[in-house]
Amino acid sequence: MAIIHEGLLGEMQYISKSFEQNHIKELFEKDDMLMQEMAFNLIYGNKGKIDELTKKALDEGYSANDVLDNGLISGMAIVGIKFRDNIIFVPEVLIAARAMKAGMVYIEPVLSASGVKPMGIVVMGTVKGDLHDIGKNLCIMMLRGAGFVVEDLGVDTKPDEFMDAALKHKAQVVGMSALLTTTMPNMGRTIEFFEENGIREEFKMIIGGAPVTQEFAEDMGADGYGKDAMECVDLVKEMVLVK
Amino acid sequence: MTSINENFVVIGENIHTSRIVLRDGKRHKTLENGAEAILYIDNDGNTRNIPVPDWFKKTQPYEQGQIKHFMIAVLEAINGNKNKQRECASFIQGEVLRQISAGADFLDLNVDEVSYKLDIQKESMRWLVNTVQETSTVPLSIDSSNSEIIAAGLSEIDSSQDNTLINSVALERLETFDLVEKYGTKTIITAAGESQMPKNDIERVENVLRLLEEAERRGVKEEDMFVDLLVFPISVDSSFGTDYLNAVKMLREEKGDAIKITGGLSNVSFGLPKRKIINETFIKLSLEAGVDSGIVDPVQTNLIKASSLDLDIEPHRFARNMLLGEDEFCMDYIKAYNQGQLVVK
Repeated sequence: MAIIHEGLLGEMQYISKSFEQNHIKELFEKDDMLMQEMAFNLIYGNKGKIDELTKKALDEGYSANDVLDNGLISGMAIVGIKFRDNIIFVPEVLIAARAMKAGMVYIEPVLSASGVKPMGIVVMGTVKGDLHDIGKNLCIMMLRGAGFVVEDLGVDTKPDEFMDAALKHKAQVVGMSALLTTTMPNMGRTIEFFEENGIREEFKMIIGGAPVTQEFAEDMGADGYGKDAMECVDLVKEMVLVK
Repeated sequence: MTSINENFVVIGENIHTSRIVLRDGKRHKTLENGAEAILYIDNDGNTRNIPVPDWFKKTQPYEQGQIKHFMIAVLEAINGNKNKQRECASFIQGEVLRQISAGADFLDLNVDEVSYKLDIQKESMRWLVNTVQETSTVPLSIDSSNSEIIAAGLSEIDSSQDNTLINSVALERLETFDLVEKYGTKTIITAAGESQMPKNDIERVENVLRLLEEAERRGVKEEDMFVDLLVFPISVDSSFGTDYLNAVKMLREEKGDAIKITGGLSNVSFGLPKRKIINETFIKLSLEAGVDSGIVDPVQTNLIKASSLDLDIEPHRFARNMLLGEDEFCMDYIKAYNQGQLVVK
């Protein structure tokens, strides 16, 4: 099946790169009208509609996994592209995340009752000496929206606090945020602390924040870097997959 | 009284190494030999350019179409020979004049983003202070989140200058007060808490009142301080505009006319389109609430125009409603943008 939902079809105009068009078409190829309608409503953050459609889909016997992947996450892929290309802005991403959460209310209990593990467990905090949390909170919202379990360590997180939380929650990914170049070195120190304690290889350690760059991430020995909250979700997915 | 008056203090926020110009923007030029450069006007009125070095072309900002012109100038200068340093100084000094002509009362200098290595940051700040004060007719504001970088800047300030500003002291780094005392400077004090950012208007005021008590204990005079009540982006939470504005009103009421209240007013528009409309509207609202200073770029922001805006008229009406917390998720504002209604007539 191709994209049959008219609204969703209209969304294709916002996707300018042809390889991305193909990717999105592929995502929806196996989806029926209901899943496509969900994806469309997710893009526009229609919380009430997502609530209604998620319930409906589960009642009709769709698996929780299918609803998550085909109805919600595929819609979020379009949100990510539109955000990157300045077609939509921060508040619209937040609304989409809120709609996602409305769907997860139904999906999560089904997944955990059937023993399906969450997509991944992430511990995330702003590093020592840094009190900025707006960017980190956006990342956490988006990650939770995408089905990850995220333990929020707040701001001013010391290396041992990252380590204790990562071990306690059996995280796969440790996410560190900094808004100040003067606290950025504490990302490196946290990675070193994990090394000194012989547990560095047990976790993927990723970083982000306004002054952080890919070059810096490589310098620090981090496993990855995300430019914004949308990239953060892609990065965490990648990290969990390669593990 | 909402019009801007001559006592309004502009802390010019432009000479920051985080600043960018766009690769497809007006100030970017490809030279005849194929090299890229950023255009500027020097203090003799000549159009000149500062080349984009190869090392910068390998960075991620460059790949995303951004050129950090101040970062390039500062790093090229501290790593270059005398000629290179003169070239970079000429560029910086062109910006100094532009900021002062546009109305800056202080020039805020920040080099935090040149590197995450402290010695490079300190060396950059020392060079920048010397370069700027060579031609500046207004005092400097030494800005860093690390007091060692501030100290490096202060150590270079001309001894005849007694109006230097520190940006900033906060409950989380009280030790910066030591520098205020040691160098006899003025200072910005911010509303950040010891262990977290303030959650609302009341926490902002409480944090500031505690800082003012500490200042009094240390003998730092109220007239030598500017209070930064912290502006956060409205795109993230629709109460972030009123959190700031209410805190301004509360502090003004508590402390009277004497206390100087400021803020990074353009932070409010982060994450949204047509930022200028939002920024101008927020300046007007902030003036009404009682600010008498702003940490803003006077070249980008026309303060006189902002102060005389009629916020009942579109497009600023959309921004006002949003900034006053009456537009959840900025939906009306974004809708107006999408429908082409955010046009200044």
